[in-house]
Amino acid sequence: MNGIVTGASRGLGLALTRALVDRGWQLAVDARDGSALEHAIDGLDGVVALAGDVTDPEHLERLVEAAGKPIDLVVNNASALGPTPLPALDAYPLDELRRVYEVNVLAPLDLVQRALSHLSDSARIVNVSSDAAVEAYEGWGGYGSSKAALAQVTAVFAVEHPDLHVYAVDPGDMRTQMQQEAFPGEDISDRPPPEESVPGLLALIEGELPSGLYHARELIEVST
Amino acid sequence: MSTLAIEPTVRLEASEPPEARGLARDGVRLLVADRADNSIAHGRFSDLPRHLAPGDLLVVNTSATMPAALPATRADGTPLELHLSTPANGGDHDRFWTVELRSEGQPFGLIHVGDRLALPDSGSAQILAPYSGVRLWVARLDLPQPLETYLATHGRPIRYGYVARSWPLSAYQNVYATEPGSAEMPSAGRPFTAELITRLVADGVLVASVTLHTGVSSPEGHEGPYPERYRVPEQTARLVNAVRAWGGRVIATGTTVVRALETVAQPDGTVAGGGGWTNLVVTPERGLWTIDGLLTGLHESDSSHLELPRVAAGDELLARSYREASERGYLWHEFGDSQLILGVLSR
Repeated sequence: MNGIVTGASRGLGLALTRALVDRGWQLAVDARDGSALEHAIDGLDGVVALAGDVTDPEHLERLVEAAGKPIDLVVNNASALGPTPLPALDAYPLDELRRVYEVNVLAPLDLVQRALSHLSDSARIVNVSSDAAVEAYEGWGGYGSSKAALAQVTAVFAVEHPDLHVYAVDPGDMRTQMQQEAFPGEDISDRPPPEESVPGLLALIEGELPSGLYHARELIEVST
Repeated sequence: MSTLAIEPTVRLEASEPPEARGLARDGVRLLVADRADNSIAHGRFSDLPRHLAPGDLLVVNTSATMPAALPATRADGTPLELHLSTPANGGDHDRFWTVELRSEGQPFGLIHVGDRLALPDSGSAQILAPYSGVRLWVARLDLPQPLETYLATHGRPIRYGYVARSWPLSAYQNVYATEPGSAEMPSAGRPFTAELITRLVADGVLVASVTLHTGVSSPEGHEGPYPERYRVPEQTARLVNAVRAWGGRVIATGTTVVRALETVAQPDGTVAGGGGWTNLVVTPERGLWTIDGLLTGLHESDSSHLELPRVAAGDELLARSYREASERGYLWHEFGDSQLILGVLSR
């Protein structure tokens, strides 16, 4: 099985990449920081790593080329949080907001458009969303509204492609670098590690669930 | 598709199985609408051998009905009924299902993603995502036992408001049902008795099977059909092709059989064995390719269930059938009377 995972140098993208490699997937992955990516995937079999920015069309084209064919999985995980500390919308620098939308909305659609003709009949598209796409949190207007846009892009794409499995997934709060940047100076050690969101993503990737928006940690059994 | 022009003014609903009305299963009424000469005849289901000929092929759906309704309780104590529709495999886990929630026989809409419903014996259902608009949901079931065992203990057959009281699962099984998997009874075959099938076989009518596990079909639902699991065995496919080659008719027992057979059919009517999930919707534009007859019940005139009979019989003949059925007091729904549409391919 062949897949693409963006933003694989750390956090959820790396945890998912490791889990998929364990299960025998061949992956093409990317991250902006090439040396961090090489370091992260060191020792993982079947992974092709490409350094690059998901807003660069040529980079996305190379990513699709690097993936084995047919492509069974596209995970749009790479995301831009925006400036930190998170600015309120009344003072949000619009150039920065444009960049957030480029990364979080347009780049995932661009990648899916480019991969589309190479997808297998049973391919999964997984777009990583956030509860900030649904709930209104102060400071999260840029990131949250971009993820809301991505969720709607996902939902409409699913209706337009009933033969594919197209998911938006909210991984839940995680102890990641992005979470730390969003809450500078705060102790985020109470958040579960991204590995706890991975089984839910695997339920979507390896299952037959109907297209839709899912919460990763609700997909797996709660151990009580 | 527009709604059927004729709305029956009188529509009697079968509120109990015919056995409870003192009839044999095959004692229900049978309306025979033949598209070849636009004729309509009335009789009993037990007359069926008169309408079929040696060398015709009757195809039945051997999917058995599950006791798919479970009592559920919302966190605030609201008692609900959870109806399992179709399985939705989630990777390693085999406990994802599309479900409908109902309360006192009516659809229950006050459900949200993230809600957790308590089920009997410490089971639970977690609502994960909407499915097919607002009526169905994707849920994860956490049960203390394997599903089939659990349903055997705690489940009941799905029942809608027009059926006055609950009936045992056996009332919802066709005589030839073998493989549990249907949320609701594939009820077109309900009037068959072992004796009737024996008579047909002795007459030279061939019988073959397919499997299609039905999802829920609640009476308020106006949505088109969603994907269902089916299997057409290779031997059944060969029989269909042979029967068509010698000029026999392929008669589908119910819309589920039509869906399975037409899924594996070519435009020239030949079929191949196959299985999996089918998304097929038979529209008037597509038409029917392989079945020449349809045995079916009487359905709500605004339900998606009526669309296939409309394609099979054509609007004029079907509207006339429904009008006559209504005037003569035929009974509607799964415990009701039957109709046989013939000459589907002869138009």
